[in-house]
Amino acid sequence: MSNLAVLPIALPFLAGIIVAFFHKKLIAARIFSIVASVIHLGVTILIFLQVNAGGSIVLELGNWEAPYGIVLVADPLSALLALTTAIIGLAAVIYAPKSLSELQEEFYFYSFFFLLISGVSGAFLTGDLFNLFVFFEVLLMASYGLIILGNGKAQLRESLKYILINLFSSMLFVTTISFLYSVVGTVNMAQAAERVGEVEQQGILTTIAILFFFVFATKAAVFPLYYWLPNSYTVPNAVVSALFGALLTKVGIYSILRTFTLIFNHELTLTNTLFIYLAIFTMIFGVIGALSTNNVKLIIAYNIIPAVGFMLMGIGIFTETAIAGSIYYLVHDMIIKAVLFMLIGAIIYVAGTSDLNKMGGLIHHYPVLGWMFFLATLVLAGIPPFSGFIGKLLLLQGGLAQEEILVVLAALISSLGILFSMMRIFIKGFWGEPDIMELPSQKPSLSLMTWPIGLLLTISIILGVGAEWFYPNIEAIAEYVMNPDLYIESVLKE
Amino acid sequence: MEIIMSVLAGILFMTGVYNLLQKQLLRIVIGTALVSHGAHLTILTMGRLKDGAPPILTEGVENYTDPLPQALILTSIVISFGVTSLLLVLAYRAAQINHTDNMEQLRGNDYE
Amino acid sequence: MLLAVLLPFIIAIFIPFLSKWKEKFHTGIVATIVPLLIFIYFGSFLGRGFEPVMRTYNWIPSLDMNMVFHLDGLSLLFVLLISGIGTLVALYSVYYLHTTEKLGHFYVYFLIFMGSMLGVVLSDNIYVLYSFWEFTSLSSFLLIGYWNHKHASRYGALKSMLITVFGGLSLLGSLVFMHMITGTSSIQQMISDKEAILNNEFFPLILALLLLGAFTKSAQFPFHIWLPDAMEAPTPVSAYLHSATMVKAGLFLVARFSPMMSASEWYFIIVSSFGIITLCWGSYMAVRQTDLKGILAFSTISQLGMIMAMLGFGTKIAIFAAMFHILNHATFKGSLFMVAGIVDHETGTRDIRKLGGLMNYLPMTATLAMIGIFSMAGFPLPFLNGFYSKEMFFKATLDLSAQEGIAAFLTNAIPYLAVFGSIFTFVYSMYFFFGTFRGKSNIDELPKKPHEAPVGMLISPAVLILLVVIIGLFPSLINETFIEHAASAVYGGDAAKEIYFWHGFNLPLIMSLTVIAFGTILALTISRWRTVYNFVPGILSMNKVYDFTVDKSVVYSSKVTKGYMNGSLALYMKLILVAIVGVSFTFFFLTGGFALDLSQLATVTTIELIVAVTMTVAAFGTIFTHNRITAILILGVVGYGLSMLFIIYRAPDLALTQLIVETVTVALFLLVFYHLPDLGKRGEARSTKIMNWIISAGFGLLITTVAISAHSSKWFDVISSYFVDNSYKLGGGDNIVNVILVDMRGLDTLFEIAVLGLAAMAIYSLIKIKNKKEE
Repeated sequence: MSNLAVLPIALPFLAGIIVAFFHKKLIAARIFSIVASVIHLGVTILIFLQVNAGGSIVLELGNWEAPYGIVLVADPLSALLALTTAIIGLAAVIYAPKSLSELQEEFYFYSFFFLLISGVSGAFLTGDLFNLFVFFEVLLMASYGLIILGNGKAQLRESLKYILINLFSSMLFVTTISFLYSVVGTVNMAQAAERVGEVEQQGILTTIAILFFFVFATKAAVFPLYYWLPNSYTVPNAVVSALFGALLTKVGIYSILRTFTLIFNHELTLTNTLFIYLAIFTMIFGVIGALSTNNVKLIIAYNIIPAVGFMLMGIGIFTETAIAGSIYYLVHDMIIKAVLFMLIGAIIYVAGTSDLNKMGGLIHHYPVLGWMFFLATLVLAGIPPFSGFIGKLLLLQGGLAQEEILVVLAALISSLGILFSMMRIFIKGFWGEPDIMELPSQKPSLSLMTWPIGLLLTISIILGVGAEWFYPNIEAIAEYVMNPDLYIESVLKE
Repeated sequence: MEIIMSVLAGILFMTGVYNLLQKQLLRIVIGTALVSHGAHLTILTMGRLKDGAPPILTEGVENYTDPLPQALILTSIVISFGVTSLLLVLAYRAAQINHTDNMEQLRGNDYE
Repeated sequence: MLLAVLLPFIIAIFIPFLSKWKEKFHTGIVATIVPLLIFIYFGSFLGRGFEPVMRTYNWIPSLDMNMVFHLDGLSLLFVLLISGIGTLVALYSVYYLHTTEKLGHFYVYFLIFMGSMLGVVLSDNIYVLYSFWEFTSLSSFLLIGYWNHKHASRYGALKSMLITVFGGLSLLGSLVFMHMITGTSSIQQMISDKEAILNNEFFPLILALLLLGAFTKSAQFPFHIWLPDAMEAPTPVSAYLHSATMVKAGLFLVARFSPMMSASEWYFIIVSSFGIITLCWGSYMAVRQTDLKGILAFSTISQLGMIMAMLGFGTKIAIFAAMFHILNHATFKGSLFMVAGIVDHETGTRDIRKLGGLMNYLPMTATLAMIGIFSMAGFPLPFLNGFYSKEMFFKATLDLSAQEGIAAFLTNAIPYLAVFGSIFTFVYSMYFFFGTFRGKSNIDELPKKPHEAPVGMLISPAVLILLVVIIGLFPSLINETFIEHAASAVYGGDAAKEIYFWHGFNLPLIMSLTVIAFGTILALTISRWRTVYNFVPGILSMNKVYDFTVDKSVVYSSKVTKGYMNGSLALYMKLILVAIVGVSFTFFFLTGGFALDLSQLATVTTIELIVAVTMTVAAFGTIFTHNRITAILILGVVGYGLSMLFIIYRAPDLALTQLIVETVTVALFLLVFYHLPDLGKRGEARSTKIMNWIISAGFGLLITTVAISAHSSKWFDVISSYFVDNSYKLGGGDNIVNVILVDMRGLDTLFEIAVLGLAAMAIYSLIKIKNKKEE
């Protein structure tokens, strides 16, 4: 038993509280936050290594044995995602000061930020359904704090919708937990999995599974539940959008992946058919959305949706290859979405507008920014040999091996759509006459913005080119995920 | 009794959802409160109702009602209280800054 | 070999640094040396005794993605083309591009392209092939957009990228599919296991996807439209990518897979009909162009179509002629592009209507152009390589045989179409040459006064023209050394062929002579029949289809998206609810979810009923009351009712908490809405109301049914007995709920407090920032 598993939750939690006490001393808060994020990253790396070397770390909190108390399970999947979260957190905290106004920083940005990280890590690590709900609430509440930060008119308008839809789905979440509790008498995921397995998911259980799916699908922005996403991810500050885009929807996808591989894996023909069709629609409508606007930030926000479709596709296909694809894509997408929102933040920062029609010729003034954006576009669109390709390839392989032609074709077409929507930004915004825009004569220094972007971008390029270093690990995770007994045994120790 | 409570929970959800679909901000927030009530009632119903004594250990009592749902509800009540308070203040500020409390006028396509 | 492929990429990294000294040292010189070295390296493989070489370099073995390079006759032909023409083009560009241009960018793209192209033709691994394939598309995109301040450049770049990447993705689909069927990612192994693919039920799809990839890349009708617009790229790029190499990647792909696919009749039908149509359409449209590069672009399309058609025929002579023509086309078309570049460079225009009579001003250039043109036109002279392959093409069209169906129809039609296409080839060739170099000269109206080009600029086209002549005079020189090997690799068996100038007075020669006769007549009377172009491309123009698709994809996306993403919360909620209710109920019925177990129900008492009824009435009351204060108070009634229920159901802590929370909430409600503007009641349309009722009733029903079924399916003991047993023993408390909260599930409680704290901070910042802003 190792207490290590609680640290990814506890560290940012404490950091968030501590930093609240000197929230007006910005220099101190910034340094403190960076240091805390570095430590947090170190801890998650340690956990990741330890899990890969010695198997899952199961922590029974307060020594209350599972399934009675709350367990934290740092298994290969959650350790990987917690690690990715920590990386993004560090990049975001470096990027933040340049992107935020001092007023926004002062009003608890760092506290919200750390609690968001804490909630996300908690959601990845917990082995208890109700505890998952609590962590959902933590990360949502932190996201509410972040989305309204600054009190813009549009911000308040969109956050209202965001909160209302999320509140509704949270209430549905607890209700559904109670349904499951009624049938299987537990809220511990491993035990629930075991018991659902014993009765082979008969009767009402599949309906309950579908309700869970809808709860998570709302957070994950699956068709037809994503309406809240595009606008509410566009209104806040770029660093907040980056955190949202990288982390929040991914928690939803993770939860779908977890519950449907671990607990509700006995009516797969039915549920997976649903997932595959929803994946198709998610991809197509997401791409249509991404092509529909000239607001650069909104384009990126819409591009979250097809990525969700890709990951759902892997869950729907449900073979080891496809699940590996989903997991690869998940990690890739977390990083690249953070990169893109940060890049867009920098673009809007230098261009002074988010309207594509008012932009042009930026590459002549900001070549580094331009080429980073170009690279990020390739990564996002799944051009080989970058990280998006590896995930996409696995998904295509899984899909074609199962002869799921329709979803494969949808994936290919939406890849083109994604590339098109992004290249529009590159062509309209970066190419063109050098003097088409009136830019301030004094070029602002962007290095604080470009460094974290460069860091994340490098990681995603390595994730693709150096896939040999990562893929065996992802493959092992997929194999592990497809064998839920391993999880159950590690928690219940039977 | 559980059947009646299930129906009542359903009614709370139904009226809550109906309110959520209204235009007026006040109604919408009321809707969320009703939905939370419905959810909490469901949790309670899903443990057995009146299956024993209140879950406070007393000499000589063997049967207690299921304490876990109660603990869960308690957590959930507090959380929804937090969200509702934030929502109220936000509704107030949003209505004030946008000069309307009509949700349909808060569609908006500008992003500042 | 790995180094040879990666060398351009490695050098490309250093180019930006080199370009700092571009004033003194033209960056292009480095870019000339690189392909030259590669050419020398691969040239060493040449010879009669050539044997295919396979080299494996591990990259991502666990995904079957390894750098496996397979140098056979086909890839040898291509690598020599890529590196050879690359050297000449780079040399030419040194004189063509002025040092004030962004040379660094240009040569980075150029080298990336070259490396990728080498990778495409050498890779035996499908994924590595695909990776390089996409990189050729992207570097082409960047090169076309090199002068991105021009609208036409941006338009052309986007167009080429969308079409070629579309094809690339389709190719990927096909490749992955074949991998899944055969279990190998090596092309050669797939070919040896071709039965598995040919007999797969999805073979038509695989074939279609593969060919889509090849046709888009090789600009086959109707995907050819990107190529003319790609002419916005600097001329060296057009000569290199858009005529000699990249556009031939599609041909390469078809050739590579033809040992596998050619067994299928559909392969013959699709490939040869697309090829022959492209040949005709391209040459027909070339005459319409007024831009020199435009003529050459359509000419390229047409020639690519011809080669594609030959690959489709799949006969020994056709394959041989195809390989031969790939080489020949590169020599004469490459030089003609360079000629067009020289004319542009020296006169300042490429508009054939303004040009004329340049023979006197650019005699060297004109001579080179003349040889190139007549080779392209297939004029029967013993020193023009174009004639040889054209003659073989005619022979190949006559050699086809098929018994029935579409294939039989095609075999009959192809020779006529071939002649038709070749006539127009002859016409545009003459049109190009005579329009530019002969006829009336109007020097004064040209933007620049023309001079003969600098020697450096003439070297490259001169070398290519020299090759035209050498191949024409001594065809066996290249035949035995590598055309033969290439053809054998594609044909899948010995495909040696002798190349003669004189075959006797046979049908192919008659076809050639027909072409010349009709071609001359049409070329002389060109002004009389040109009006035909006002009618025939018309709506047939695929450009319109492309523009329509691209524009409308944006417009319709916008329409569709704005249709539902209208910012209305009510609409979003409705759509979400309909989805949840609809799908959940479907699954509920599909899986037989309903259960009803009345045996374990608690008793019904009057007091509970009263509370329940009160709550029901109150809940509906919130909807029907018009007064806001009343609504809030009625909501309080529901809340207090709930705490009553908590008391009845033996949950004292809950009741207490609920009571307090409800009181505070109601107070908050009142406080907030006291400050809200009262904008009066908002009526809804009757239909909206009914709709809302149906949706909310559906949702309520869902919760009720699932709740009843869940409650009736208590198949397991709850874990709570543990809490009862251990609350005191281990937790040290009598109140089990409290023990659970603070101990067993302490983490929940801790974070529940965190949620409250966060809410407080958020509220604080909501109020405070406003004050700050107002200050």
